[in-house]
Amino acid sequence: MIMDEVKEEFVKELLKNNKRSDGRGLLEYRPIKIEKGLLPNAEGSCLAQIGDTKVLAGVKFDVVEPYKDRPAEGVFQVNAEFLPLAHPEFFAGPPDERSIELARVVDRGIRSADCVDSKKLFLEEGKALGIYVDLYIMDHSGNLIDTAGLAAMGALLDTKVPKYEAKALIRGEFSGKLHLERSAVVCSFEKIDGKIVLDANDEEEVASEGRLSFATCDGDLLCAAQKSGRSAFSREEFSAIMDASLEKGRELRKLIGG
Amino acid sequence: MAEISVPGDVLFEDPRRIDGGYVLGNKTIASVICVKSEDRAVPLKGKYLPIIDDYVVGIVSDQRFSGYTIDLNSPYAGQLSTRESRESFKIGDVVSCLIQEVDEVNEPMLIEPRKLYGGRLMEIESVKVPRVIGRNSSMVSMIEKYANTKLFVGKNGRIYIREGNVALAMEAILKIQREAHTGGLTDRVQAFLESEAQKIKE
Amino acid sequence: MEKPVLIRNGKRNDGRGVMDLRPLKITAGVLKKADGSAMIEWGKNKILAAVYGPREAFPKHMANPNRANVNCKYSMAPFSSLEEHGRSGPNRRAIEIGKVAKHVFENAILTNQFPKTQIDISIEVLQSDGGTRIAGITAAAVALADAGIPMRDLVQGVSVGKVDGVLVVDVDKPEDNYGTSDIPVIVSLRSNEILLFQLDGMLSKKEVETALDYSFETAKTVRELQIEALKNKYVLEESGA
Repeated sequence: MIMDEVKEEFVKELLKNNKRSDGRGLLEYRPIKIEKGLLPNAEGSCLAQIGDTKVLAGVKFDVVEPYKDRPAEGVFQVNAEFLPLAHPEFFAGPPDERSIELARVVDRGIRSADCVDSKKLFLEEGKALGIYVDLYIMDHSGNLIDTAGLAAMGALLDTKVPKYEAKALIRGEFSGKLHLERSAVVCSFEKIDGKIVLDANDEEEVASEGRLSFATCDGDLLCAAQKSGRSAFSREEFSAIMDASLEKGRELRKLIGG
Repeated sequence: MAEISVPGDVLFEDPRRIDGGYVLGNKTIASVICVKSEDRAVPLKGKYLPIIDDYVVGIVSDQRFSGYTIDLNSPYAGQLSTRESRESFKIGDVVSCLIQEVDEVNEPMLIEPRKLYGGRLMEIESVKVPRVIGRNSSMVSMIEKYANTKLFVGKNGRIYIREGNVALAMEAILKIQREAHTGGLTDRVQAFLESEAQKIKE
Repeated sequence: MEKPVLIRNGKRNDGRGVMDLRPLKITAGVLKKADGSAMIEWGKNKILAAVYGPREAFPKHMANPNRANVNCKYSMAPFSSLEEHGRSGPNRRAIEIGKVAKHVFENAILTNQFPKTQIDISIEVLQSDGGTRIAGITAAAVALADAGIPMRDLVQGVSVGKVDGVLVVDVDKPEDNYGTSDIPVIVSLRSNEILLFQLDGMLSKKEVETALDYSFETAKTVRELQIEALKNKYVLEESGA
């Protein structure tokens, strides 16, 4: 707690002069690194790094029974796990509200952009493909949402669809790449002492009073959003953040090859 | 009829530091549901927050080597040092105290403890206490007179009643609590006390 | 299931125009034991909100010396939806909604006046009809005011959806099921700020701006009904002497 206050003061002091501890501009990302296809047992995988934050995403397919209200569609689901090795405050146990929020925001971004056409996951009466994206938070140095968004989308771009024969999947044999309608990424902005910064590092997150995240997709559209934290945002801040999200989103999609 | 304000309503067009309001720009905005009068806002609801120099009625809730913890019908319990009294108290004792100091996290230091006994304790909403006391203690004196009792009214909404017609005093206090934000209250309470006292005589 | 036509000649399936709210009724102080409470009936939604506190923070090591901790639980009763029996206990959706609702009240409540305490807010959806989080938070704001907890503003909201290509306010269940976008918004009309914002479905920036305009505009009506609920309670107490 005391160390947190020290960091908070330091971050706020620098921001008074529009400066950040790592020398970045207020609306600039840390270096981003994307590695796809690291895990051949998974149908798709991607390790995304923004600065020191590392998130690994793995994609697995299963044959599932479609939901009753959508009998001709497959299932798509994102989960997140905060690994105890990623941060001193992460402990083993059931998912807490932070990991649930993270998974749901990433899920919403990809789902509402219709990246995966769930009708194309239908196999036959009572059978459809289920796509499960699992996000492993390996190192938490701030801005998990954007890193996880990149990992999830990167993994889907890397995904091959296993062959389906005689009502079962043949593991290790593929019918082709997963068809994606478009790609979506998330950009998160933190509000610190009235200033808006993109891609906060861990020190800045400690000092932050609130976050606004926008997912954007091809066609310069906003497809998901989440306001989190105790601070409020004005209309002007919303407008500026939407503009920056659309611009940075284009760059991020190019970076992951979407 | 009195004007009721809710959080976010403008109370005054100039900035004033008052209970139940906060300053935004150069206006005073209501922070709680309250009745606005010419120069202040009277909150209609809310928990008791300890204030220096308030007399309160507490209940001993914990006892340690160096002192007592006193429950004050508030989110904040009071601390009473053993040095403040030659008398010792037990958990559950009712004591009146004066708030000497309140620290930066609202926790009060209590002094002048007096054990209250031989009577009845009642609890009302602390925001209604000023009406029970009345202007220059007029309401309290009136109840004491008609019910022939002695009242100790804590600012924290706890009232200790001794001697006389305790039930009549309690009824009058409950009536005040119910009708606290209406006009002509003193007259109505007096009429009530008179008629009840008359009934008893008969 | 085929998507029905939801907007005909500018009218919505229940006859409303794009800027019309469903019938909305709020009642303050419906529970005896809670420090504050409210019931909201909004369309077919029936949602109860209750507040306890400020009270001593528990467990003690969680106490914050600078402000009150705000806890918020949102849950849907297993019998609340028209569909099958729901599972009891909070699901992932409920946990996320509880979290963003908590953030709304961490902002609205003057938490610095109550260090080392906690304020517990419960939102229980008894019957759901689309827009439950907005209705629940709107009710919780009334419950907090009823508890006498100091706040910067009495907050409220209206959700906006895109249905048949048109932006409409206060989406009901069919519109929620078949619409292409859903944007729940909670605002403070006092500060003109946005306290809760979520979005799903593809929209241009211009459409998001319009949705925010719609929310701010229609939130005024919601606020009036919140105030009426509070005044009704206190006026009633007066005459019930």
